[in-house]
Amino acid sequence: MLNQSSKECFKSPLNWIFSIACVMSLTAATPAVSADTITLGFVVRDWFTSVFNSKFLDECPEGLSVANDEIWWRGLSKEERAKATENGLIQSLARQFITPRRGPNGEHVCHDPTSVIDPPMKVVEGKYSYGANLDGDTDGSRTPKTCSHVNFTHPDDGTPGIDNQMYRLLGCIYGWRRGGLPEANAHEGRGTSGLGMILIEVSGVTDPRNSDDVIVTFYRSIDQFALDGSGRPLPYSSYNIDMKDGKPRYNDSLKGAIKDGVLTTARGDVRLPFYGNYNFMHPIIRDMGLRLEIAPDGARANGMITGYYNMDEFLYYNGGMTGHVSGGDNCPSMYVAAHELADGYPDPDTGQCTHLSSAFEIGTYAAFIIHPDEEVKSANR
Amino acid sequence: MSVFLPRRQNRRRFLRGLLGGGAVGVALPFLDCFLNNNGTALAATGAPLPVRFGTWYWGMGHTPGHAIAEKTQTSPGIEFLDEAKSLKPFENQLNFFGGFGMPLDGRSNYTHFTGWVGNRTGTVPQRNREIANTTLDLLIADEIGNGTRFKTIDVSSVGIARENYSARNTDSRPQAEISPVALYAKLFGPEFIDPNVAQFRPDPMVMVEKSVLSAFMEESRDYLRTLGAADKDRLDEYFTSIRQVENQLALQLQEPEPNEVCIIPEKPDALPTDRLASVREMPNVIATHKVMSKLLAMAVACNQTKVFNMVFTDNFANVRKPGETYTHHLLTHSEVIDTKLGYQPLAYWFNQRASEGFATYLETLSGIREGAGTLLDNCLIFASSETNYAKVHSLDGIPIYFAGKAGGRMKSGLHVVGGGDPITRVGLTAMKIMGVPIQTWGTKSLRTTKLVTDVFA
Amino acid sequence: MKVSFLPLAMILVLTSCGNSEPEITGAPPDMRRLTDGQYVNAITDIFGPQIKAESHADPLVRTDGLFAIGARSARITPSGFDRYYYQARTIAQRVVSPENRTMMFPCEPRDASAADDRCARLYFTKIGRLLYRRPLTAAEVQTPIDAASEAAKVGGDFYRGIAVGIAGMLTTTKFLFIIDSTEPDPDLTGNVRLTSFSKASRLSFLLWNTTPDEPLLAAAETGELHTKEGLKRQVDRMMASPRLDTGVRAFFKDFLEFEQFETLEKDSIIYPAFTIQVAEDAKEQVLRTIIDHLVVRNQDYRALFTTRQTFITGALARIYRVPTRRPADGAWIPFEFSENDPRAGILTQVGFAALSSHPGRSSPTLRGKAIREHILCQRVPDPPGDVDFSLFEDPNSPNKTARERLTAHRTAPACAGCHKITDPIGLALENLDGIGQLRTTENGEFIDASGDLDGTVFTDAAGLGRAVSTNPATTSCVTQRLASYALGRSIGPEDRELLRYLEAGFADDGYRVPELLRRIANSEALFAISVPTTDNATVLSNADGTVQEKVQERQL
Repeated sequence: MLNQSSKECFKSPLNWIFSIACVMSLTAATPAVSADTITLGFVVRDWFTSVFNSKFLDECPEGLSVANDEIWWRGLSKEERAKATENGLIQSLARQFITPRRGPNGEHVCHDPTSVIDPPMKVVEGKYSYGANLDGDTDGSRTPKTCSHVNFTHPDDGTPGIDNQMYRLLGCIYGWRRGGLPEANAHEGRGTSGLGMILIEVSGVTDPRNSDDVIVTFYRSIDQFALDGSGRPLPYSSYNIDMKDGKPRYNDSLKGAIKDGVLTTARGDVRLPFYGNYNFMHPIIRDMGLRLEIAPDGARANGMITGYYNMDEFLYYNGGMTGHVSGGDNCPSMYVAAHELADGYPDPDTGQCTHLSSAFEIGTYAAFIIHPDEEVKSANR
Repeated sequence: MSVFLPRRQNRRRFLRGLLGGGAVGVALPFLDCFLNNNGTALAATGAPLPVRFGTWYWGMGHTPGHAIAEKTQTSPGIEFLDEAKSLKPFENQLNFFGGFGMPLDGRSNYTHFTGWVGNRTGTVPQRNREIANTTLDLLIADEIGNGTRFKTIDVSSVGIARENYSARNTDSRPQAEISPVALYAKLFGPEFIDPNVAQFRPDPMVMVEKSVLSAFMEESRDYLRTLGAADKDRLDEYFTSIRQVENQLALQLQEPEPNEVCIIPEKPDALPTDRLASVREMPNVIATHKVMSKLLAMAVACNQTKVFNMVFTDNFANVRKPGETYTHHLLTHSEVIDTKLGYQPLAYWFNQRASEGFATYLETLSGIREGAGTLLDNCLIFASSETNYAKVHSLDGIPIYFAGKAGGRMKSGLHVVGGGDPITRVGLTAMKIMGVPIQTWGTKSLRTTKLVTDVFA
Repeated sequence: MKVSFLPLAMILVLTSCGNSEPEITGAPPDMRRLTDGQYVNAITDIFGPQIKAESHADPLVRTDGLFAIGARSARITPSGFDRYYYQARTIAQRVVSPENRTMMFPCEPRDASAADDRCARLYFTKIGRLLYRRPLTAAEVQTPIDAASEAAKVGGDFYRGIAVGIAGMLTTTKFLFIIDSTEPDPDLTGNVRLTSFSKASRLSFLLWNTTPDEPLLAAAETGELHTKEGLKRQVDRMMASPRLDTGVRAFFKDFLEFEQFETLEKDSIIYPAFTIQVAEDAKEQVLRTIIDHLVVRNQDYRALFTTRQTFITGALARIYRVPTRRPADGAWIPFEFSENDPRAGILTQVGFAALSSHPGRSSPTLRGKAIREHILCQRVPDPPGDVDFSLFEDPNSPNKTARERLTAHRTAPACAGCHKITDPIGLALENLDGIGQLRTTENGEFIDASGDLDGTVFTDAAGLGRAVSTNPATTSCVTQRLASYALGRSIGPEDRELLRYLEAGFADDGYRVPELLRRIANSEALFAISVPTTDNATVLSNADGTVQEKVQERQL
């Protein structure tokens, strides 16, 4: 049961006496609550929709999706175009607030996506995607919980049956490719404001590198990130749990296990806080699973969250962004495509699937998660 | 109440008239010390420009065999090797002094301390941290520094105020200015009188403040009779210090000569707080040095001082390359010598930065035109370190440069070979060029009367 | 057999009364320059905290381990005076500014645009006494009145005049230096003693690190300070005050050489968590721990090196890797390290570990040297000028831990002599990295933190703390330093009787520093003055400047 580093504790004969203390002192985060188990804590800083981008855009054989602004421009008459550019004097248009308002009665097509009919969106047709096999099958056929869809293969190890309809939807939109503006802006905003901060607490841990039976709980904090000189969070900061009426506002748990420093959980419904691009959401990710690789020194842990994401919440989030100019997306066609691609939890009345299988890459830092009721006095909790 | 003073009015008449024969006495003799050494006034044009003296300090010396090629005899031509190549463009503004010795007469080599104390004061310390005699810049300032607002200005790029290589003795060692913002405020703040302003308006309150200072100083003399010798000396220094401020105030009342070279520089920005934490990371030292050099050079051009001291890196070279564990100093001891290169690569990197820093300094000074030449032409800059080969704390051949032409009093482009002579010959030469009436300098084996005549014009 | 109890009784009586203060030869009267802290405290106490004074005086020279001794020979250079002068003007302007002036002034001028000598006299008499730490002579009051009058006339503003007068007073030797004045000693004809105002100054700067307050000056005026009871009353009053913290802090800042924090820096790539805030908090943590332990809870000094109780902020919590409820607002909360945590005692706090390290890694030698010199008052010789470290610092060496790298220190004969004094101690702290973070391995190799201090063995940093606490040099060091600090001179072998007395008292009092301070404050030694018998004799003055002719004759 003892791994290599804890064997170090027993190297010097004198340390046999202090062996338990030595093991505990090796843990990266908060040492033991009771004599047997310890609690690890992590704060999520990075949250990116996992997209597989090949070098030559192979997954988008028809090219990138047509953006809202192009459709708007196409719809203008010559006279209207001349007016908009002041007869060619203006090169770049301040069109951010104009172009989405192209409904027949001036509707904002992101808030009212059915007010126009746009050409169909280009979606991913490639073979590969990151993510997980959420529905347990490899043929993508309809089940009571899912709608039919095409599966992906995992690019790293060839695992078939990967469900990631969110990627299929977004993968050919310019702004949603890696490093694109919507996610970069959201990431930046979260870092400086501390909004939408997710805390991951792993309790019941007997050995930080190998524990069979742990509980993973997801909280929110409204403390700020403590950042170092280059803007990265500092590990081992403390974060207070956001409470409402004496209970944590976010409080869902999953069972899990740690093997060789990798934490994986069983699947379950988890509500998480989200903030990005001036929008707040709190989706319940259904059948959510977490996989987290904990660094040997325990200061960081990176991994992936997979599960079914609520389509309406996502469309609401995307529609509410003001950066469609640089996002390169198009709300009406995305609305239609999302409804076609959704593969999870059909509406009992209409049969329309309401969730999109998805995967999110997360990066976390070791943290002390502060419960309001417990005494925070000693290093050993 | 402000007074508009038309030009060239008799100053003495003005001062008497101002107070209407009032209660406050004016120490008129002060006015005499506004004149230069020869007693001739500085007219607006055609007068000899003042010769200034500056020092420049860098820590950890040179890498032997890689900075300046050795020579066997004093002769024109300095061969700049890779470590010092940044100075090559300034060859005809430089004199290099190599091969001078520092005999210790049995005293310890207090590492990184004895070296600079020896070459700047002429006396090696008997105890660690002891400075027994006055540094040459102050001796020069005593001679030429009375007519300007500041007798000396001390600046450091490395953020350690107390590491200033100008001192009268152990206990009397002014701090260096380490903040560009504070330096600017001191030089060009409200007390600065712009020589090029159309109407000069002396502030009558300054007159009052000056005489008030005098009155309080007189009162402090009560104690002179009651103290022991050591304390009397401390009190004397206090009085000298007051007189300097009185001098400054008196100068604020005197209309300065117009000075086309004097252009008030822009106020520098305060260092951002994250920079404050890494003040001694080399890129930041270089940036600070650049800003401070410009301010200092303009202060000299504006005649705020004739003696000015700049520290590039301190004697313990507490500077680092970002991401490196060790300071320059520790590297000189701990870094392994690369067998191919023949030197310690990282330590070498710092020495190269020092050469570049000195080049930047000279560039700044020569960037200000003055008379027929540049400000640098009218300066003698004494650049020195506290060791030659830092790795072994060697005191032999501590490198010294003279830069500038001292207003025509000095030749340049020479490599002077010391042949083991006491290094005090160099400092003595500098003082002599600057007009200090001194025949002998230094104590014990460092005592010398022998000038380096080769550099005299 | 008849046992005689008499000799036994005598022995008992003798031992219980055995610790009485020995006679000591005092030092000549001195002239100590105000430290930056004293300057700021004095201005703040006299004019109020809203004035926000600063002081950047010429640096003091640390002499025999203390700046307080360096103050005795401190000077004021031209650039130093320049700073005082402009600071004085700034302070004076703030004092007379409209929002502040009503608080300070005992009167109002007849005409605010003109001089008013009557009101100026009232004002300068009042603050002059506080500034010069004694009542002013007629001439001394007249000088600022004249200055204010002249300035008011020229400037057309009464308060501007006052500002000029204040600025003048703030630049005199009488303010900037604490100058001993003496008078004939009525109890010992032919001798001199410090005037009671000089005694008041010594007391005040020792206990509160500031200028004497009004009650102390009043006690000086009545001559109370010349009596044992009067002195004791003032000492008791001042030690009961919360202002004692300031005095104790000032001592420990000097004793532990905390000015090093000003130039402390760590590499931001290797230690991204170490910010300026961390450095400031680390210094404050040590001082807070000291005050809490020694003053508030009045505990044994030796336990400072073993205590697990301290205070932390959010920034420090990150370095210590402990949870805190207040991660972001800079609040100080009490914290206790757990029983088996090797971090116990102030030597394991970030304030020590980070200070005595390199910018990018720890240093057993620097830490060992700091403990020897600061805590144990033992001198460590400087390294020889021609030492070559490169043999030990080969980056490709198989030596992974500091202990392995420093093996040469312990084995090479030229090195071992000094390094055996420092390294074994410093190596005990190797579980703390260059900024005091806890670690159990270095470069993947387990750290062995065992060693010994003068024969007392330990296996970790907590053990080192215990060894320091039981080392006799620890208590005698702080005693000797505190006495030196108080007297402003080095307490050396010629004062060994005094030291023995103080050390014995310290032990009797359970090593409680406030009691040691009290003992020193009440001692004859604190005020002992001697007159040198050289030709260049110190001519002694009375408070008003007149010379003491009698004493001069006797010396001849």
